[in-house]
Amino acid sequence: MSTASPVGEPSGTAGTFPLQLDIDSDTLASCVACGMCLPHCPTYRVTGEESASPRGRIALMRDVAERGEADEAFVEFMDACIQCRGCETACPAGVRYGHMMEVTREALASQTGYQPRLRRLAYRALGMPRLLGFGSRLLGLSQRLGLMRLIGLLGRARPFRQLGAMTASLPRVPVRQSPLIASGDDVWLFTGCVMDAWMRDTHRAVQAVIESTGAGVALPPPRASCCGSLHLHAGLASDTRRLARKVMAALPGEAPILIDSAGCGATMKEYGHLLGTEEARRFAERVQDVHEWLAERVDNLPSAAPGANGSAPLQIAVQDPCHLRHVQQAHLPVRAVLSRYFDVVELDDDGLCCGAGGAYSQQHPEVAGAVRERKVAAIERTGANVVASANPGCTLHLRAVGLDVRHPLEIVAEHLSAREA
Amino acid sequence: MNRRSSGGSEPQWEGASTGSPDAGASLAANIAAEVTAFAHEVGSCDPVTVVGAQAHWDVGGTPLAGTREVRAPAGVWEHEPSEMTVRCGAGTTVADLSAHLAQTGQMVPLDPADDAATVGGVLACGFSGHRRLRYGHVRDLVLQTRHVDASGKVVTAGGPTVKNVSGYDLARLLVGSLGTLGLLAEVILRTLPVPAASQWLTGDGDPFAAFDLLYRPSSILWNGSHAWILLEGDPADVAAEASKLEPAGFAPCDGPPPIPAVGRESMRPSDLRALAGTGGEWLAEVGIGLVHRHEAVQAAPVAPANALLMDQLKQRLDPDNRLNPGRRPW
Amino acid sequence: MPVGYGRVVASEIEGAADAALLADLRGVLGDRARDNDFERGLYSRDGSIEGSSPAIVCLPTSAADVAQIVRICRQHRRPFLARGSGTGLAGGAVPVGRPVVVATSKMDRIIEVDIANRIAWVEPGVLNLDLSRALSPLGFHFAPDPSSQQVCSIGGNIANNSGGPHCLAYGVTTAHVAALEVVLPSGEITVFGGVDAEPPGFDLRGLFVGSEGTMGIATKAAVRLTPNAPTVRTLLLDFDDVSEGSAAVSAIIAAGLVPSALEMMDQRAIEIVEAFAHAGYPTGAAAVLLVELDGLGGGVEAGVEIVREVAERHHAGHVRVAADDAERALLWKGRKNAFGAVARIKPDYYLHDTVVPRSRLTEVLEKVYRIADAYDLIAVNVFHAGDGNLHPILAFDRREPGVDERVKAAGRDIVAASIEAGGVLSGEHGIGLEKRDYMGMLFSTHDMYTQDLVRETFDPDGLANPLKIIPTGSRCSDSFHQHVPEGAWV
Repeated sequence: MSTASPVGEPSGTAGTFPLQLDIDSDTLASCVACGMCLPHCPTYRVTGEESASPRGRIALMRDVAERGEADEAFVEFMDACIQCRGCETACPAGVRYGHMMEVTREALASQTGYQPRLRRLAYRALGMPRLLGFGSRLLGLSQRLGLMRLIGLLGRARPFRQLGAMTASLPRVPVRQSPLIASGDDVWLFTGCVMDAWMRDTHRAVQAVIESTGAGVALPPPRASCCGSLHLHAGLASDTRRLARKVMAALPGEAPILIDSAGCGATMKEYGHLLGTEEARRFAERVQDVHEWLAERVDNLPSAAPGANGSAPLQIAVQDPCHLRHVQQAHLPVRAVLSRYFDVVELDDDGLCCGAGGAYSQQHPEVAGAVRERKVAAIERTGANVVASANPGCTLHLRAVGLDVRHPLEIVAEHLSAREA
Repeated sequence: MNRRSSGGSEPQWEGASTGSPDAGASLAANIAAEVTAFAHEVGSCDPVTVVGAQAHWDVGGTPLAGTREVRAPAGVWEHEPSEMTVRCGAGTTVADLSAHLAQTGQMVPLDPADDAATVGGVLACGFSGHRRLRYGHVRDLVLQTRHVDASGKVVTAGGPTVKNVSGYDLARLLVGSLGTLGLLAEVILRTLPVPAASQWLTGDGDPFAAFDLLYRPSSILWNGSHAWILLEGDPADVAAEASKLEPAGFAPCDGPPPIPAVGRESMRPSDLRALAGTGGEWLAEVGIGLVHRHEAVQAAPVAPANALLMDQLKQRLDPDNRLNPGRRPW
Repeated sequence: MPVGYGRVVASEIEGAADAALLADLRGVLGDRARDNDFERGLYSRDGSIEGSSPAIVCLPTSAADVAQIVRICRQHRRPFLARGSGTGLAGGAVPVGRPVVVATSKMDRIIEVDIANRIAWVEPGVLNLDLSRALSPLGFHFAPDPSSQQVCSIGGNIANNSGGPHCLAYGVTTAHVAALEVVLPSGEITVFGGVDAEPPGFDLRGLFVGSEGTMGIATKAAVRLTPNAPTVRTLLLDFDDVSEGSAAVSAIIAAGLVPSALEMMDQRAIEIVEAFAHAGYPTGAAAVLLVELDGLGGGVEAGVEIVREVAERHHAGHVRVAADDAERALLWKGRKNAFGAVARIKPDYYLHDTVVPRSRLTEVLEKVYRIADAYDLIAVNVFHAGDGNLHPILAFDRREPGVDERVKAAGRDIVAASIEAGGVLSGEHGIGLEKRDYMGMLFSTHDMYTQDLVRETFDPDGLANPLKIIPTGSRCSDSFHQHVPEGAWV
């Protein structure tokens, strides 16, 4: 049932402001409004509203591009997009929706107050590993000391409402994590920002699986901490470019750069396009999702343990992160790796987004929750008891409703270590 | 081909052209003349009723005494096997139509109890035959109708092709209207290949379980103790499906007993089960929800909003109530 | 004229009337009644090339909401029209006369699946493919399968009496709708038809299906469930001559076979589709036939042999039989996305829909190409050959000056050529706005007068999706004219 609305009171009479949308007219005209994208759009699915669909958003972009002005309603409609790009996979005409949305967000961020100062600062913090690490430990401590309830109460007061909603849906964050240790220089394992701060054990498992093929893993220095993906989605492309240059400088050489977070991988594969330099293009070619790399070497992986160590066999449902399936088209390698060890069951929702969308679930909890309900129902229909998801955002978003969600390679690593034991 | 001679005046409407130009034109002219003659006969003033084989003469009430009787044109006018359509006069008997189509291995599964019934009569009553389970309601076999309305004018509805959504579906409205909105003159029907094999089975097994077991059986008739099941299609498939029924207590037979032809009781398919153990002689269509009885059945009431619409439709299309007065399909 | 997403500026009087109407609608729907410029623009179009802005967009969540909206519209003497997914191709959901759009997309529940009676009760906003997917584990599906089935709604299917490739064997929507809950133009809620065998009285259900929202708004439907076939075979035949392909179509039917689908694509369509779907369509061929046979194994395998024989007789290059469900799905993915994929050559398309006798396919196809050439347009053909249902696509770029006139003129010529060959105006898209003025090619004035009498019975005030299907002038009751703003396409 569609209940959530991406907009509150329509603001038809609200004031307009100038907005230059730099999307060329051929790109804008490439959508023929056939509507094939609608069922593949998570926000349309839960709202049933044209304004929350790719077809509708493109029409609105066209309108604004022609008139050179927009209003608050336009900003809300654009902001309600999760940027999962499921519509691109579905589009028979090959419309580059993701690109159009990135240009629109960038125009909003640079020409309007779309990204308020506080939020810009928060995004900036992602590129500061020490600050992020300190903040995370503080958050972890607060959670353990019950301070979050206090923030939650505070959240009822108007100025803190968004903060309250955000903190309520945050995962339990670790206070102390042991460091990862490099084992060679065959491949880089990119560790990222939030994921390294909150989910380092996932990296540890991924590293173990890579090493089980006989490869040595190099780790980037802390300064290459954030790929800039969230910034790009927020329309802060210049921040992404700045971070991209740092990341590139920190990962020199020719070795493949393996990513275990679909969102980061999708953005880093785009560095060439984003920076427009030959160096960036060469760098982007080295970027692979870790499953892509492993799928090519699946025979080098240890064989499956016989008898599945006595316990009930795992029924694994694969939840495809959008940025793996729709952007990188790298969802099949996940199955290639998992199916060496387990029975994999497919969801029947055509890879519809789960609602996480990087920071989206924090900024639009109601829509993100409604989208998640569909995903949870699809998972329940499979009868699986474990969900494999190759993206930290999806993992946290789905764990928040009690599902057993793990990174695919965590599941593999666990199996391999049990096998050794 | 059974073609009546052309009856006088020139065709009054456009359309009706297929085949080679010359033959097509003369054929069209002949058909048009037949229909026009019928329209003249119906006229525009006095109460009139159309008579077919009178196989269901008292359905919805008999026409008022003194109502003038007319007969619709008869004859199979056009049949192109590769188009799978047939054009015929509404007065054509189902027997004639079937015999004509059988020559090229085709059929229109109207299946009236008595095949002296006319095509127009079957459609006016809207009574599907015992193979509705597979081939659908008779109204879904109708592609185009030409009827004469209360003003004596010819009205075309639907279209001659196997698929058509041009305009309002008056053809469906006419099916089952007992000639109270217009008198059918000519119809174009969809034909189907006669199945290569056909086999009835009978037994005392559960017909509802049999329905779930089979893939699109043609008919399942049940009298409360025994069931008759018709399988049609490729010979190998019919044999395979029949073998599935044998363990359930069904064996080949020649066919069902005659279907009671007086009362038609309409219910939901799932409600048929409750008939088990009820007395009387009846034969029910499993999967459809129709019970054939030897005695008349009181029709279910029509919701007030619908009755109002039906009254208004009648009022608009036949303001003087001259078409089949005394009859009412609800 | 296409107005795209441009706005029609309301006059002062209209503005005041709109405000009063909005206030009443807000009273029922709250913020689900919208009048901002952006959203009115979004609901100004469907999948066709026409457009005209509504006054207000309503997003009801129940039949009671819909009934209230209709009642309020009556009080304000304002037209209203229902809209499903907005994929219609004949302009049936294009708002004309500054109406209230009633979008049913939030009414998307499958209320009940009733296996014993082989029906499902659904709300109108349920998407066609979602229903079939939900039924699949139970061994059933909803048979009508328009190419847009992944997005089109059941309500839209009912309004247009939609078809689809598999209607060749299973029939169009009307054969698959047992009962309908309808909000009449009077605001009253009633049920047409029934789940029982022979509901009494006139077939109001049959009349309503395909009436394009001019007789009220369906708020619930009992649709029939069709059992999934135990065996399915999909074959791809390629020809280096279009006429051989068409002849093969007739030959397959004449051999006594009723395939569950029999589709044809011409060379340009093959290239476009292959670029999107990568299904292995032979890009060099002049035409391909996609033939699907389903049913019990014996009949299907016998049918495959007949198709092979016909293919050989008509010099088909190859006969490819899909090895598994995945290959089958890929072939169909290509076919069903063909229209949108046309955007790969031009950003706009005008998709036609006429039916001709199978025996006249070759002749009419040739005319279609000639017509397109004459108007300097690109024609792409992807269609339901089995029932003679042509879908010529004219690809164009609306930014080219004067192109709209050429596209419409070519469309008219194509319709005329089809009717001349003994065909009809529309096989499955409906009449809507697009073909309203062509009705006279197929029907006499008296035919149309009779149809309008029937429509008027349901909607004497002419408020339900006005100005659709029947050309203006068929009746005198054009009272809704006063609402048509200057410059709106009518």
